[in-house]
Amino acid sequence: MESVLQTCDLGKRFGKRWAARGIDLEVRRGDIFCFLGPNGAGKSTTIRMILTLLKPTTGTVQLFGKDPHKNRVAALSRVCGIVEKPDFYLYLSASKNLELLGSLTRRITGDEIMEVLARVGLTQRAHDKVRTFSHGMKQRLGIAQALLTRPELIILDEPTTGLDPQGMKDVRELIQRLAHEEGMTIFLSSHLLSEIEQVATRMAVVHRGQVVAQGAVSDLLAQEATDYSLQVSPVKQALKIIKTLPWVTVLASGDKGIEVRLEPDRAAELNKALCTKGIEVFALYPRRTLEDFFLKVTKGAPEI
Amino acid sequence: MTLFGFEAYKTFSRWRTYISFGVLALIVLMTEIVMRVSAREIVGSMMKPFQRDFIIAGNIVNAWFITAFIMNSLHFHIPFFVTLVAGDIVSSEATAGTVRFLLIRPPSRQRILNAKYLTALFYTAGLVIFFAVLCLCLGLALFGSGDLIMHRLGQFSVVFIPEAEIPLRMLLAFVAAVWSMTVVASLAFLFSAMAENSIGPIIGTMAVVICFLIFGNLPLDFFRHLKPFFFTTHMLLWQGFFDRSIQWLAIGQSALILGMHNAALFFIASLIYRRKDIKS
Repeated sequence: MESVLQTCDLGKRFGKRWAARGIDLEVRRGDIFCFLGPNGAGKSTTIRMILTLLKPTTGTVQLFGKDPHKNRVAALSRVCGIVEKPDFYLYLSASKNLELLGSLTRRITGDEIMEVLARVGLTQRAHDKVRTFSHGMKQRLGIAQALLTRPELIILDEPTTGLDPQGMKDVRELIQRLAHEEGMTIFLSSHLLSEIEQVATRMAVVHRGQVVAQGAVSDLLAQEATDYSLQVSPVKQALKIIKTLPWVTVLASGDKGIEVRLEPDRAAELNKALCTKGIEVFALYPRRTLEDFFLKVTKGAPEI
Repeated sequence: MTLFGFEAYKTFSRWRTYISFGVLALIVLMTEIVMRVSAREIVGSMMKPFQRDFIIAGNIVNAWFITAFIMNSLHFHIPFFVTLVAGDIVSSEATAGTVRFLLIRPPSRQRILNAKYLTALFYTAGLVIFFAVLCLCLGLALFGSGDLIMHRLGQFSVVFIPEAEIPLRMLLAFVAAVWSMTVVASLAFLFSAMAENSIGPIIGTMAVVICFLIFGNLPLDFFRHLKPFFFTTHMLLWQGFFDRSIQWLAIGQSALILGMHNAALFFIASLIYRRKDIKS
């Protein structure tokens, strides 16, 4: 699949401190790629380097095969983004802001402006000054301005920060709609694990300025998934059978299910063993969460 | 919309842009009204040293005289108004956070900076032209026309310029005034490109202008030697158009020095801004 964003050994040093170092990322067309990391991990620094706000100390960035630091027009005309919080010209209306900012990429018509405002639910406020907007409305207006130039890649830096639960849900749904219905590639940074679990197809984990894991979310979570939850009936009989299997360790059991630890790749075998003994297996799923994964991969990462 | 149109629209959509025009209008209006009321005493005190040797008759206090008189204060108040916009034009994007939208678009930083610089120059020219038109229109309405008789400040001489020559000289003087004020705009622009807020560039520019004006007027040999290199010295080049015979060479030299200042200041601003890391 075509690579729309690629970074190679990307690094940024401020004085003696490296904010990001040796960042190798690859975002493919159609991905909802999440860049996960705690606050201060180097997510925004990386995004700023990708979008030319910061000059990299080391490494290169390629957007659609072009280096935005050298071939700006070719690289950035297919990309749009919001870095940190979306800020607009407060003394201008929403529609005027979109017209002005959109015109930096291409000629924008009034109909196009109204169309993107409708998509983010701001039609009624089109002619109001942005200074009267709430944070959530500015966030939606930020997405509207990103959509206005019809980009192939949208880069969003913590797009749900500061939003209320409904606002977060709206933004997540919008992101999924853009990816699935309009075929846009989304690069999303976040420190919210739940957000990434809900929307991402691929991800990279950054910690202390370095990428510590990268790949498809399902692959990364399945790699070392050894803890499982079982919903079975009858529980007591299932427990007896499980205890006879030397490669299974029972972690906990209750009226509704059993928690077990398996040797890698033996989940199907456990299921078969239970079913052949007449146990009804309603569910067998890895208990491992993104949070577990994140804590594991970031544990012991070196200082840079 | 062109980048220049984009910048000009933003600049002229802000009410603070018009503060300068409003205050300038007030200054001109107040000065001309006071002059209208007390013209006789003012002219009397200005011409006192010459009254023993000359008989001065006719409409001395006319629109041209008033305009030239008010122009003498040009290098005090206009620089402040110029810095209000030129010192804010780049740095305000960082303060407002809009720089993060602006600089991730296809146009290069240099092109954006060019558009902003052109807008700052456009505003500067607009301000001086507004000042000129207001002075002359109000002056013609309140005082009428006539020959220009001027006492050059700090000199024991009176300059007489016939009415027919004045419009062209006045036009050239205002063109020179625009040119001199562009250096203030360039200086403020440089500070604006370096800063992340607007206060620093505005105060910094005014501090530089005031310091150079003070140094240039201190009766000390050290500063007297340096005075020809101060841009503030050459900012008064417009006065050359009210000499008995226009000293084209001196005016040209001053214009060239100011132009070199403009080029150097803009070049440094570009160099800094192109390499600047946007952390705001």
